[in-house]
Amino acid sequence: MDILVNFLRLVLLSMVPFVLAGQGTMLGGRTGVFNVAQEGMMLVGASLGFLVSYYSGSIFLGMVAAMLSGALFGLALAYFTTALKMDQFVIGLALFFIGVGLSTLLPKIIIGITLTPPLIKTLPNLAIPLLSSIPVLGPILFNHNILVYASVIISVGLWYFLYRTQKGLELRSVGEHPMTADSLGVNTTKNRYWSTIIGGALIGLSGAYLPMVYSGTFTEGMVMGRGWLAIALTFFGGWSPLPILFGSLFFSAVEVLAFRVQVIGSFLPYQFLQMLPYIATIIVMIITFKRARVPAFLGLNYDREKRSV
Amino acid sequence: MDNQTILELTNVRKVFGQTVALDSVTFSLRRAEIHGLLGGNGAGKTTLMNILYGLYRKDEGEILHKGKKINIQGPKDAIRQGIGMVHQHFLQIGNFTVLENIILGTDIDNRYTMKTQNEEKKILDLCQRFGLDVDLNTTIDTLTVGTRQKVEILKALYRGVDILILDEPTTNLTPQEVDALFESLRVMVNDGLSIVFITHKLREVLSVCDRITVLREGKNITTLDRKDASEEVFVRAMVGDKMDIENSIYFATDQRSSFVNRLDQAAAFEMSSVSFINKDGIPRLKDVSLNIHSGEIVGVSGVAGNGQRELAEIVTGVIPVSHGKILLDSKDITHTNNQELFKTGIAYIPEDRLHDGFLPKANVAQNLILGHHRNQPYSDGNFINWKTVFKETREQIKEYNIKTSGPEDVGGNLSGGNIQRVLIARAFSMPSQLLVAHNPTRGLDIPSMDFVYQKMLKRREEGYATLLISEDLDELIRICDRIAVIYRGEILGILPRSEFDKYAIGRLMSGIKEENPATEEKALP
Repeated sequence: MDILVNFLRLVLLSMVPFVLAGQGTMLGGRTGVFNVAQEGMMLVGASLGFLVSYYSGSIFLGMVAAMLSGALFGLALAYFTTALKMDQFVIGLALFFIGVGLSTLLPKIIIGITLTPPLIKTLPNLAIPLLSSIPVLGPILFNHNILVYASVIISVGLWYFLYRTQKGLELRSVGEHPMTADSLGVNTTKNRYWSTIIGGALIGLSGAYLPMVYSGTFTEGMVMGRGWLAIALTFFGGWSPLPILFGSLFFSAVEVLAFRVQVIGSFLPYQFLQMLPYIATIIVMIITFKRARVPAFLGLNYDREKRSV
Repeated sequence: MDNQTILELTNVRKVFGQTVALDSVTFSLRRAEIHGLLGGNGAGKTTLMNILYGLYRKDEGEILHKGKKINIQGPKDAIRQGIGMVHQHFLQIGNFTVLENIILGTDIDNRYTMKTQNEEKKILDLCQRFGLDVDLNTTIDTLTVGTRQKVEILKALYRGVDILILDEPTTNLTPQEVDALFESLRVMVNDGLSIVFITHKLREVLSVCDRITVLREGKNITTLDRKDASEEVFVRAMVGDKMDIENSIYFATDQRSSFVNRLDQAAAFEMSSVSFINKDGIPRLKDVSLNIHSGEIVGVSGVAGNGQRELAEIVTGVIPVSHGKILLDSKDITHTNNQELFKTGIAYIPEDRLHDGFLPKANVAQNLILGHHRNQPYSDGNFINWKTVFKETREQIKEYNIKTSGPEDVGGNLSGGNIQRVLIARAFSMPSQLLVAHNPTRGLDIPSMDFVYQKMLKRREEGYATLLISEDLDELIRICDRIAVIYRGEILGILPRSEFDKYAIGRLMSGIKEENPATEEKALP
């Protein structure tokens, strides 16, 4: 029983990077901007979030810095694809490489090489009064750091925004058929910029979660493919906030399980478990292929005066 | 300017790259009139209205609204000035509901909860007032073209426009739906709206418009009151002086003699009980039986997407037959591949010229022999004889009036209309038992359309068979000997020329069979 409680607690704890990066990708994608730079952006978020926390002593400032760096990457992606109409994948991959390079370069310049890794204080747990003392459910659900709660609130908030507000309707229309949106006076450019910038901020924050909760320090390549998994997750979740939230639980469960197997050892190599999320994504996409809910204009740039649509 | 004029465009000019789309065009619209904007393909009708609606920027010219100069930067400005537009290719979001499509981009009363009772009530009022019947909660994808058009009109009316632009609104509507549309338009005009009706169909403007402006090659030719002008004046204005209207088929009014079915002769082409089931397991053609005699033109009519494309591709061997049998000249060609069919005598003008019929990076000569490049005289079986190819294609370019610098010109340099001419030249220049033409005149101006008709009738005289699949019912009625109507992959009826009737065909197009067969069918076990 204890093992199960502990396992479920860990699943919730490690779902956060998936939720934030997945929702960030989804938000940009809903206006048609397909971000593929998550891995790089998360690394920069982790690196910068760690550095700022280390020097300022404030984890909050570190989070803000990580979000700003992600937002800046988002802005760059939006500018190159919306204003300059360049290919989204090419720009996304370029931003990924820039992110990878920048994330290792920054600590080397600022801190240099040290024998013992510099450490920051990790995020404290916030036990919710009363609820956290419920047996079994209390420790699983209500004794976590603030970003666990925030990631759930953000997901539900995004769902409400997209499906229950006028601005959300407009945003979705841009990713489905920008020409229609444009012809009805919806500002396609503005929607694309804001969704990509805010989505970028979420992705940056998801990177910062790693040093702030897991390790207390930044190590090279510490995102370990979670950025790529976030892309798979958004497809898995049909580019919709709530399914993405539940999908992250699954992705996170597999991650925790793979980690366990790696530590305890098993007949099954842990690498196989690490493949599971990708395989699951492919299976889900095959099953839902005919009804795949992918924004119709995903990955494409919109040009009003191009004569053929 | 009289005080009735609500809108005026003066000296509008628009250039796309090297082509002048509009050259100092002037247009005026009065309150409560239906103003027809008539012209062939490429005349600049849509471009002019896209400028008015803010989708394109004009290079020169002015727009006056109620006497005041206005500046339209985008559709938002146009909507604010009370201008709405119904596009030919509907601007709708397929997986949104009707309601969402209508209210998109407007201010909703409860914008943070999306409780839309007020909006729904307003839309339902409009539906009732103008006789536009739509269920607000269905998804756009599931609707027919006719209903989607009502949604498009509601979108404009909901925004409280007093000027409504309709771009080729009758494309893909059955004749019954066209009548209903015209009735709604009349109600709107009586309500004080002004309507611009863009079309290339002369008969439609004559039946519904109060005033008519004719555009040709980006210039405005004339504006006339409907009652002051005869059909002939408009015909001349539309096509210019070059075309020989007396002998044209497009404007022909006399009845052509009907095809005499020589019963002693076997059909040149025979399809019996052919079905096609696509990759997703959905039947797209059901039990289609159709035969075409030598010297006959058989038309296939239907609303787009009812299996026409599959029919064309089955006959030409592009996709495999699921069940059934096809004979050409009494030879079984059911499983013959496409390459063999081209050799044995099938020519094909595909519907989607850019995807299925043309290589933009190859030159014009290569495009003109594509598919026939293995046959005499272009090839001896191993090598292509380029000297012959260039000689022949140079002649084709002249005969088919393809605007290009020569056979070496890269295909991508050609305009849409000229690409269509290449496809037509290719199909007609090789002798073929059967020609399958799918929307062959799409994107062509009237003289070129007429040219295609002449060519088809020439084939008919020479005793070759033609299958003409078209979304333009007028076109089919003009030149076909028989018309088969396709609905959801089934041939619902085949009418001989003596029984051609727009409304009868229209009923079949919308899936309504003749009196009472439904009950008879049910009686069968």
